Amino acid sequence: MLEGILTGLATAFDPANLAWVMAGCAAGTLIGMVPGLGPITAIALMIPVSYALSPAAGMIMMAGVYYGAVFGGSTSAILVNAPGVASTVPTSFDGYPMTRRGQAGRALAVAAYASFAGGTVGAIALLAFATTLAAIATAFQSPEYALALIFALSALAAFAPRGEVAKTLAMALLGLMLGTVGTDDAAGTQRFTFGRLELADGLSFVMVAMATFALAEAFRMVVHGEEQQPAPRLAHPRLHPGDAKAMAPAVGRSAGLGFLVGVLPGAGATLASFFAYELQRRFRRGDDRDDVRGVAAPEAANNAACTGSFVPLLTLGIPGSGTTAVLLGVMLSYGVQPGPMLLDSAPTLFWGVIVSMYIGNLVLLALNLPLIPFIAQVVNIRRTVLVPLVMVFALLGVYLTSLNTFDVQLMLIVAVAGFALRLARFPLPPLLLGFILSGMLESNLRRTLLLAEGDWAMLLARPASVCLLLLCAVVWLVPIRRLFGPR
Amino acid sequence: MTEHRQQEPPPGLYRPLRFLTARAAPLALAIGALLYLWRAFAIPLDPWAAAEPVGPRTLPIVYGFALLAVAGLLAMQRPASSPSPALSTAGAGRRWWQLAAHCLAIAGFGVAIGWLGLWLALALLLAALLAIAGERRPAVLVLAPLGTAAGTWLLVAVVLDVYIDPGPLWHWAFGSA
Repeated sequence: MLEGILTGLATAFDPANLAWVMAGCAAGTLIGMVPGLGPITAIALMIPVSYALSPAAGMIMMAGVYYGAVFGGSTSAILVNAPGVASTVPTSFDGYPMTRRGQAGRALAVAAYASFAGGTVGAIALLAFATTLAAIATAFQSPEYALALIFALSALAAFAPRGEVAKTLAMALLGLMLGTVGTDDAAGTQRFTFGRLELADGLSFVMVAMATFALAEAFRMVVHGEEQQPAPRLAHPRLHPGDAKAMAPAVGRSAGLGFLVGVLPGAGATLASFFAYELQRRFRRGDDRDDVRGVAAPEAANNAACTGSFVPLLTLGIPGSGTTAVLLGVMLSYGVQPGPMLLDSAPTLFWGVIVSMYIGNLVLLALNLPLIPFIAQVVNIRRTVLVPLVMVFALLGVYLTSLNTFDVQLMLIVAVAGFALRLARFPLPPLLLGFILSGMLESNLRRTLLLAEGDWAMLLARPASVCLLLLCAVVWLVPIRRLFGPR
Repeated sequence: MTEHRQQEPPPGLYRPLRFLTARAAPLALAIGALLYLWRAFAIPLDPWAAAEPVGPRTLPIVYGFALLAVAGLLAMQRPASSPSPALSTAGAGRRWWQLAAHCLAIAGFGVAIGWLGLWLALALLLAALLAIAGERRPAVLVLAPLGTAAGTWLLVAVVLDVYIDPGPLWHWAFGSA
């Protein structure tokens, strides 16, 4: 492992890669600070830039974008009570009241240090988990992969908020269906192409990601129509004496919890930050409205969960969240197949990404915190300028990756559909996850049954696959109980 | 899996939202699933693929029926608590028209690229979108589109060295060189 870490350090400290992680953090922070634009949108908008880089540099930049967007989301949650993504909602519970009491700088400093601590715990745990899980996963064959993918999709329903199980399932299925468009790899048959040559290679992942997240989100902003309240003027963010000591236990607890929740497919940073906030509330005694731990706990959990979500992505090649699904799409477009073999086939990328996550956290702390009074002005950009810019960059990104206008027209249709689904409160990340996993699921299932000459019992032939099948069954009990159980 | 929070829409949007949530969404999903199934059953199968346990049709058919079942479940579910009809709807109609105009501008951009080339079409698109969004400052309306087009051209064509055809208009005006 030491050799790997050294490889990672060498890759991450390459001046060009260091510059890209800084650029990623800065871009992620700026985009993530815009209410409504979260990590998925930030990463989707940066895809065209990543295509011009080497796989390692591109992924390193994307890791920076991810962390930057999460940090940016927390900033807008604290400053203007506008958490752009669900994972930063708990931060606003105690963070915004601190801003109203004139302690915005303190709240931001608490959030930044807690995020850094969470990211550090997450990076250390990732090092331990990733190598161990990758070693176990080398024994995985197509039946285990097929079942692991089914487990990842099943977990979506299990972790869906109450009342949204059916909608989450519908979106995952819609994603799986969109993934079947194009030429069938095994038989060479055209499916759902309607005779259009442009669809022979399937729907472009960049187009679907940009349409459902960037363009549909911009449409929502247009219809939402309300100007954001202006960000308050900020002094240099810093902790008060005693804050570090007060928040340390909460940060430790929340980071551990966040990482474990982040590893679970379908759970993600949102669940982690809510869990951590609830856990922290139980530790509170008396009236402590001025408690910085209420900001620190969700922030530490949030960041640790972001790191944790890389475990299934890097070791199994299975994304556990919408954001990691987009990152998987980026990796696949580089021709890099994440999974247990990644450690051997692309050690520079594997270790470089892991170490860069830590560097990204460091960059956020060292650069973003002092610059936050200036960066926060992004929140004050008028919607009349911001929305057209988001639309233009999304369209430009799609056109530049395909260089055909068909994708631009198709993007508009997908975005309108995505916007309608958002209005009807359908969650869109499961759609993206289903879309990206569709091809993998089909090819692994086919390979399994081809090897087993059509015998479905092959899925139960090995202990690992039986365990996964049992896990799937357990995971399905939760949504079934929610759908049909007592209310 | 709820990374992207569903933000509360403003009061003026409740009527279409209620319609979408309670009635149109399950129906649209069911219609979509049926159309998908119709096309799935039409996927051509060669004899070799037909003998496979999982052929090109298998999973699409499974997905189609599963979505149909989920649409049924959604239709049976009671819609979430309906918002108060007494809430204001001021400005909502104008914003829907704005959205329609944005969509038209984007569709126009898709067509215009072929004639004007990417960079000119991009500048015009941004100017149109800004105007539709309600931006009235002349400096922003002129400088933002020109700056964005020039900046992205610099990044893409010069820094990243990606060749983008400037379009027939450019070729007509300046030749093919």
